[in-house]
This record gives sequence, structure tokens and C-alpha cells, in this order.
Amino acid sequence: MQRNAALAALLIGFSLSTSAVLADTSITAAGSTALLPLVKDAAGAYQTANPSVKISVSGGGSGTGINQVAAKAIDIGDSDIQAPAQPELIDNRVAVIGFAVIVNPDLKIKNLTRKQIQDIFAGNVTNWNQVGGPDQKIVVINRTRGSGTRVVFEKTVIAPEKVTEGGLTEDATGTVISVVKSTPGAISYAAFSGTHGQPIVEVSIDGVAPTEANVITGKYPFWSYEHMFTYGPATGEVKKFIDFIASNNDLLTKNSFIRIADMKTSETNR
Amino acid sequence: MISSIARRSHTTERIALNVIRFCAGFVIFAMAIILIYLTVEGTKTFFVDHFSPISFLFSPDYDVDGGHPGAAVFIAGTLLVTVFAIVVGGPFGIAVGVFLSEIAPKAMAQVLKPAIELLVGIPSVVYGWLGLTLLVPLIRDHTSSPSGFSLAGAGIVLAIMILPTVISLSEDAFTSLPPALREGSLALGATRFQTIMRVLLPSASSGLAVALILGIARAVGETLAIQLVIGNAASFPKGIFSPTATLTTVIVGEMPSATQGTIQEHALFSMAFLLLLIAMVLILLVRFALRKRT
Amino acid sequence: MAIVATTQPTSTSLIGSSPGVRARKLADQVATVVLWLMASSIILLLALFIVYMFYLGARYLTPSFIFGMPAETSAGGGVGPEIYNSFYILILTLIFTVPISTAAGVYLQEYARPGRFRELVVFSAESLATIPSIVMGLFGLLVFVYLFKWKFTALGGALTLTLLNLPALMRVTQEALKSVPDTYREASMGMGATRWQTVVNVVLPSAIGRMTTGIVLIAGRIFGETAALIFTAGLSVSTNAPYDLNPFHTAETLAVHLWYTHTESIVPDVDRIGNGSALVLLIMVLVFNVVARVGGRALSKRLTGRPT
Repeated sequence: MQRNAALAALLIGFSLSTSAVLADTSITAAGSTALLPLVKDAAGAYQTANPSVKISVSGGGSGTGINQVAAKAIDIGDSDIQAPAQPELIDNRVAVIGFAVIVNPDLKIKNLTRKQIQDIFAGNVTNWNQVGGPDQKIVVINRTRGSGTRVVFEKTVIAPEKVTEGGLTEDATGTVISVVKSTPGAISYAAFSGTHGQPIVEVSIDGVAPTEANVITGKYPFWSYEHMFTYGPATGEVKKFIDFIASNNDLLTKNSFIRIADMKTSETNR
Repeated sequence: MISSIARRSHTTERIALNVIRFCAGFVIFAMAIILIYLTVEGTKTFFVDHFSPISFLFSPDYDVDGGHPGAAVFIAGTLLVTVFAIVVGGPFGIAVGVFLSEIAPKAMAQVLKPAIELLVGIPSVVYGWLGLTLLVPLIRDHTSSPSGFSLAGAGIVLAIMILPTVISLSEDAFTSLPPALREGSLALGATRFQTIMRVLLPSASSGLAVALILGIARAVGETLAIQLVIGNAASFPKGIFSPTATLTTVIVGEMPSATQGTIQEHALFSMAFLLLLIAMVLILLVRFALRKRT
Repeated sequence: MAIVATTQPTSTSLIGSSPGVRARKLADQVATVVLWLMASSIILLLALFIVYMFYLGARYLTPSFIFGMPAETSAGGGVGPEIYNSFYILILTLIFTVPISTAAGVYLQEYARPGRFRELVVFSAESLATIPSIVMGLFGLLVFVYLFKWKFTALGGALTLTLLNLPALMRVTQEALKSVPDTYREASMGMGATRWQTVVNVVLPSAIGRMTTGIVLIAGRIFGETAALIFTAGLSVSTNAPYDLNPFHTAETLAVHLWYTHTESIVPDVDRIGNGSALVLLIMVLVFNVVARVGGRALSKRLTGRPT
């Protein structure tokens, strides 16, 4: 008897707290780990200015972001790539991000030609001494299938080749950086927001250095737009949050992003 | 008056019986819907995407974008890692099981048994983390593996994880043997070691088989501990120090970003379905082994 | 059941015996030494793990870590909400699992007659027990996240874990009930009690010590569960964090967070979070193990006067 009363009390307690929860606005965003630092920073600033809004941000990769927002499990799906397969998702572009090909610093390699990068990632070249480096086996570190960074890499740098499946696969930007840092002979690719200032070497492609300036002029090819997808047009606090990110120049520059308006070149399919 | 009390307790008895029968039935229901759901979702690759089961099982070409999700690499990965774990952990586990049952004095058993229980209690993600921080650098610095992520690393972690299962089931297999077996052998002048090897081991063989099969089941189903140390390379390993991937690691790695309704998602569910089938086969094997005992 | 009786050969010295006997005795001694080494190595391995984890992680166990909020991109995050979620999901899971598995265990042990229904229940339980936790997690994803459209919730995670742990708790119940001598049952029914009254008033209280030990040990395993929760309870903490009572909140647990940090996360202090979380998990396992033994014994003494 007492047990039943206790159970009933628990159930009532749960349902009461459910209704209490619906009072505040909550926004959930997830997806690209390249965009993540920016969204997290912006969420912090936005919540301070708007205390009644609660924003929860996590990673998971561009594919996860698109997936979850399409399933309406979250409000905003962060992605480095477009989502042509999901026409009900509205694309809100918020910034431009550059990506870098990164290598372990002990290799002392500062530049690679596009052809060399193609050969390395396709598995045709297996030792660093074939591309002007020391005698060391090349360890290719790939991103998972759901990574937007990987799609951008295949489209803008090594096309028409695709990455070989023989490499290690790591998921998030952060993990990639730490594996490249500690594995001799490692090579991978990640966004500026994760690579700038890290103890790895960002390689120049065909002599063009991986800097925001070179992305703006279009000399450096490895970049993409950052998309914050919403299911249907963004409204209310979600829309205000997205606009906040796209217009806040301080946050953008601090995290190595570029304002779309500043770009001197543009692409339709990124 | 007495009869009304009796009647009340009889009603309670009947209600209680139905309630607990319902709960037992719930177990059947749970298993049934899991089976149904995973079968439906797991066979979509074959019925909706029209990809043949033979190709799925044997083609090493995991090309989801091209509509050709061959899972052979992952199946091989699961098999290799399991074999490694059972080869390393199986005999070791049986040996310690023998030790506990036949040799250990009470004091030692009182230390060893709780130790084994603690090893079981350690979450698999902690084992994976231990592998990542202890084993991977070791392999990287002392073998041909440039990154340290390898089949061997995953195998070693798995071997440690299945040890408790194999040990306690082996011990049970031995302790349930009739004492007359031991006494008879020793009376004939055999040493303890001879008794174990020639008399007890063969008699306990079906129990030991169960221990190994359940160890295998544990290894096949393990996910996170493997994922953190195996390197997740979707290709056949060139040696035990090469990275590779298993069915479980590719599922946990790709599922979050697999869109519903795509070939990729269907393929991943087919892999889960395959794991389910393997689990069922292992259960049937256990039942078979136990039946042989009687 | 160690063989230490006087059936051992009385002399273990190798002098004064024929070569065949000597070889056999040598083999026996060598084998004994080897087995002792193997068994000791397990204890050493466990000790190594514990020492290593304390060494790496003890310095990070500050209040700001244990109770602080997690950080997505910057250093200095804590795991407060994750620890809360671990306990929350654990309790929720036990609320569902214990009644059902106890009832099913009682049925199997005290009531069921051999037959198709009983066989089916036993087979289902065994099958459930062998399902890999990741497969169960995918089932939870299918049902709770997609079909019921709950998105990522603590409730979804708890229900998935319930399915995972039903067989284990059923086995605990059955073993505990088996350990109660039949004389208790006979005495009770001899006095006119119905079977149900016997079970509730005599058998269960006698078995409670063993059951508690088993339940707490399994609780320790639930606390560390990861694969089944990734796709059901989610990878982030509630927006009303940290201490949301609503069972429909997104509930990343400590174990899931440890995995997330090492695969998906981009915080710079991965080591700190990893080492600290692993140590907290280890400490919780130790605590659960101790409570299981001590608590089970105390409870049993209270209710029956017997140590177990």
C-alpha cells in the first residue's frame, strides 16, 4: 500500500516538473565540430544577454547535426556541408571557415602540392621520403563518414580522388589534432577553428599558406560555408540566435571564422 | 470466519500468481519485439535496397555512397579480435578457474574472488580508456605500429575483459564435479596435476565449453573498449599491429550521422541484426553443450 | 574445493623415488607454481589499474570538477550534471527493473511447473542476456527516439537499460531464492499459509541479503553502462541543467561523457576530464562493491538473524 502511494507520488512529481520545464525557452544545437567553438562561445554570450533562454550545444559531426535536426530531435543542426537530401531543412549560412591539412611537426614539412596530397590520401604514396620528407611511414588519419570536413576535403582538395579506407579514422577535430600531435608521420585535415595555434604544422597547399586572408581572396581552396540548419524557417529565439552569430565580428575572428560579407569570392555548392 | 480469511488469501494468491506470471511473460514479450524490430529494420538492406546477403557478408567493399555496403571487413575484424581475445584469455581463464577450484587455500580465494568481481565491475569505457592511455603508447613505441592503434591492442583489452567470465564459469565447472572423481584418482597414486589434466578437465569439458562460449559472446558484443584502441580503419589488418574495425565499432562510429532511410543506416542495422544472430547461435551452442553433460 | 586432504603424496621430495614418479612430482610442482603466478598476476593487474588511475586522476578531483558544469570547447569543465544523470538513470532503471525481475524470478523459482511457458521464459531471458549492449541501444533508438518521438531522454535510456538488466536481476532473484532452505517453505505451508504468503513473509525476507548484494553489484554495472545510452539518453546534459528532475531531459552520463571526450570532443584538457572521470567511475565501482557486501549482510542479519 505504501509502495503504491510512493510510486504515485513519484509519477505526479515527474509530470509536475514537466510542465514547469516548458516555461523557459530552450534551444538545442549540435553537429559540426568545426563550427562548435563558435556556437559555444556565442551561446555563452547570448545567454548572458538573455537569461530566459537556455542553449545547449554539442558536437557529433555535420552528419549527426543534419540527421538530428531532420528528425526534429534538436533545433539547430550545425554543418560544414549542404544537405541536398533534406529539402525541408532551411539553410542559414552564418560564416566561412578555412580548413588546413595538418602534419606531425617532427616531419619538418611546410608545403605540399595538390598532387602530392592526392597521392598520399589515395594511398599511392606511403613514405614521407617520396614527397621530400624524412624516411618515415605515412600514417593517414581520416575523418568518419559523417564528417562535413571530410566531404569538403574530398571536394576541394583531392578531387577526383577519394580518401583511402586504409587510414585510421577519428571523429572530432580535437581528437584528430591530438592524434596527429602524438603520432610520428601522421597527416590529417581539420578546420582553422581547431588547428590555429596548436602544436602541429598547417601545411601550405601549392605554396599558398592556410590563412584567413588567403581564403578571403580565394587563393586558398580549402574552405566552406558554415550552415545552421533548421527544420523549416528559423523563428523566434532560434532566429535571433543565428542572426547573432552571423553578425558578431568579434566572436567570428576570435574563433578563426570569416564573415560572409568580407569574402571576395563565393561558391554556390559549398 | 476462518473460511472468509481463507477465501481472501486465496484471492490474493490468484491475483499474485497472475501478476508474476504477467511479469514473466513480459520477458518473453520484450525478447520478441526486440527480435521483430531488429529483423524488420535489419533486413531492409536486402528487401528495400536490394543488396544481396552474400555480398553483404563477403564483399570487402564498404561503399555506402555507391549503394554497395559490403561488411566483410567488419565481420573479419570482429572475428579476429574475438579469436585473439579467446586465445589469450581462454586458457588463462581456465587455468585460474582450476586454481580457484583445486589449489587455492581459503585466504587466497578470499582475496582473488573479490578482485575478480571488481574487474567485472569496471565499466567497459574505463577499460577502453586504460587501453588508450596505457596500451596504445606502449604499442606505438615498441612495435611496428606507427600510431599504436591496432588489432593487438583491442585483443589484449578484450582478453582482460573476458577473463572474469571465463574464470568464474570454469571454477563452477570444476566445483560441480563429484569429489569421488578426485579421490579416486589420487587414491590411485596420481599427482594433483595429473588428476586435473587427465580426470577433471575431460569431465568438466562441457562446463568449460560454456565458459569459453560465453567469453566469446562477451567479446563479440563489446563496443567502446575496442573502439578507443583499434584505430577504426575500414580495411583488413595487415598484421596484428595494424588498425582495423569491427561490426560494433562501425555501428557506434557511424550511427549518429546516418540519416534515417539511407543505405548507410540500413546497412548499420543489418550489422546489428547480424550481431543478434550471432548471439542467438551462441546461446544455442551453450544449450547444446549443457545438454551433453547430462 | 581445494585438494588439501591427506590424499596428497606424503613426500614431496624428489630423492629416493623412481624417475617416473620424480617427473610426475616435478610436473605437479611446476604446474602449481605456474598457476599461483597466473592467479597472482590477476590481483597484481587489478592493483596496477587502481594505483594507476589514482595516480593519474586524484589531483583532478576538485569540487569544481565533481560538481561543475561541463565545457564543450574550453578547458575547466566539470562533470557535475553527468554524475547526477548517472545516478538518475540508475535509480529510474532500478525502479522499473527490480519489480519486474523479482516477480519473474519468483515465478520461475517458486511457482512455475516445467512446461512450454517456463522454457520460453528461460530462453527469452538467456537471449536477452546475450544481446550486445550496442544492439540494445539501437533498439532503444528505434523505439524511444524514432517511434515514440521522445528524442534523447533519461527515460528512454532507463527503459533500454531495464531490458538489458532484466535477465541479470532475474538470475540474482532465483539464486537468492534457491539459497533459502525448503524447510522454511514446508514449515510455513504446514501452518496453513498460501504459497504467496509463504513467499512474501518467509522466503523473500530470508533471501533479501543475497538479493541486495546482487542488486547493488548490478547497480554498479548500470552506473558504468555506455553503449546502450549513447543513442537513447544522448550526448549532452539538460538545458535546465544541472539537476533536472524531468525524466524527459537529455541525460549524458559520466561513462558516456568519458567516451565522448575521447572521440568527439574538442576540449583542450581531454586528459584532465578523462583521468578524473575514469577515477570517479572506479571509485563508484569500489563503493558499490563494498556496499553490496556489507549492506547485504547487515540487511540479512536484521531481517533473519543469519549473515546471508
